[in-house]
Amino acid sequence: MIGAIAGSESRSLLRSAQTWLIAGVLALVFAYLFLQALETYLDIQPSLAAQDHPTGLSGFLAVRYLAPLVMVFALVSPLLAMKSFSDEHRQQTLALWQSSPVSTTAMVLGKFFGISLVILLMVLLACVMPLFMRLFTNLDIGVLSSSTLGLALASLAFAAIGMFFSSMTKHAIIAVAASVLLLVLLWLLGSAGNGSSLMNALALFSIPTHLASFFQGYIGTADVAYFLVLIFLFIALTIVRLDSLRHVG
Amino acid sequence: MLSNTANSTDKLLEATQLHRRLSPDAQIESISLSLQRGDVLGLLGLNGAGKSTTLKMLSGTLVPDSGEVKISGYSMRDEPLAARQRIGYLPDTPPLYTEMRVRAYLQLCAKLRRVNKAQIPEKVETVLSQCDLHSVERQRIGQLSKGFRQRVGLAQALVHEPDVLLLDEPSNGLDPNQMQGMRRIIKEAGSKRAVIFSTHLLNEAQAVCNRIAVVHQGRLIHEADVTGDNQQLEELFTNLIREQPQAANA
Repeated sequence: MIGAIAGSESRSLLRSAQTWLIAGVLALVFAYLFLQALETYLDIQPSLAAQDHPTGLSGFLAVRYLAPLVMVFALVSPLLAMKSFSDEHRQQTLALWQSSPVSTTAMVLGKFFGISLVILLMVLLACVMPLFMRLFTNLDIGVLSSSTLGLALASLAFAAIGMFFSSMTKHAIIAVAASVLLLVLLWLLGSAGNGSSLMNALALFSIPTHLASFFQGYIGTADVAYFLVLIFLFIALTIVRLDSLRHVG
Repeated sequence: MLSNTANSTDKLLEATQLHRRLSPDAQIESISLSLQRGDVLGLLGLNGAGKSTTLKMLSGTLVPDSGEVKISGYSMRDEPLAARQRIGYLPDTPPLYTEMRVRAYLQLCAKLRRVNKAQIPEKVETVLSQCDLHSVERQRIGQLSKGFRQRVGLAQALVHEPDVLLLDEPSNGLDPNQMQGMRRIIKEAGSKRAVIFSTHLLNEAQAVCNRIAVVHQGRLIHEADVTGDNQQLEELFTNLIREQPQAANA
């Protein structure tokens, strides 16, 4: 059942013009950022080569091209998730689900996997560009893979947050605004750093804290767990929210 | 997963003492209903009497504060999925995805109702003929007229051949011609299952139903079989209509 719902959700996303518009804009953004990073690398390569442990192209692209894309997906993921439940509220189609033999959990998971599939396709699109460099030079696949994993995990967590806010309102754009606001908050958490213990504690929960190592080619259990917890938390909140509708009517 | 505890009697819907508080001064009180195969019950009442809320509770979309709903022996509270698999529900706003095409929409609905994959095309075909939708099956639902949309809504409730059919004002906003068509479909559907449909029109209830229940201010105040002579019912309903404006002013 979850598979069927996921299929129908991703099909409906892929049918909408908005998804393809986002994909088109993303392709341009990816290309621009990628070429810019590449040009910078070529400019500073002589001075890099003089260092003891010179940064390779892969490491440079991970930090200068893939890492900034997390911010792009902080907007793209909520945009793709915004209609998941807002549209059901707006078109009053939730009754269809509520009166069908489908549990709320199956419905939410199905929708989340459906959205995830489309997001992962876009993440894949972003990672194709560095792979092209393989034609010209040796790449460090390790650092590129860990960066891709970081980007994918973060994007899926952003989608879960977007889906949750989508279940709260029938106005899709409000869902996006709320998601982005929360993400900015999570991003800046503890960064007003004067080194106090409170700020350091808060920083443990911020997104950049858990992203950095992915882009240095290091996959930490705690960092993976952080994003998985975010995903599960917001999926659970969405389920609770939708179940509560049966009680308020 | 679906245990076989249902008894095999033909009591398809049984609601006992449904109670639900809606606001400080409105509530549904002790509504009990029992329907067998072949029953078509008209839930008659003025706007705001509690018809929609009652149907929501019967369909499982709203949890009652107390009381129980059983569909073909399955409790809506303890075995919600088994119970919901056996109902078809058309809310007062049909739950339609306007960007989908009619056939694809009905296929999705069949899937959600766990219709066996191999049987989906056949069931969709049946319901398309039953509701006269073949002429529009490739159109987007958003482009359809009100009458067609209502019929797609009805088709969605019928596609999995449920035991119990719950229709919330199905002929609202239809012209007399479309109303006739809707009545025909409901009568046909009613021969094989139990149907409840709400309306605020007495003559519509009389035309389609073999039983009528009158709801007023959240209570069931009258329930009777439709016979040739319905004078008592007509008087009761006329009195309600007369009372209503006074109640509103009070």
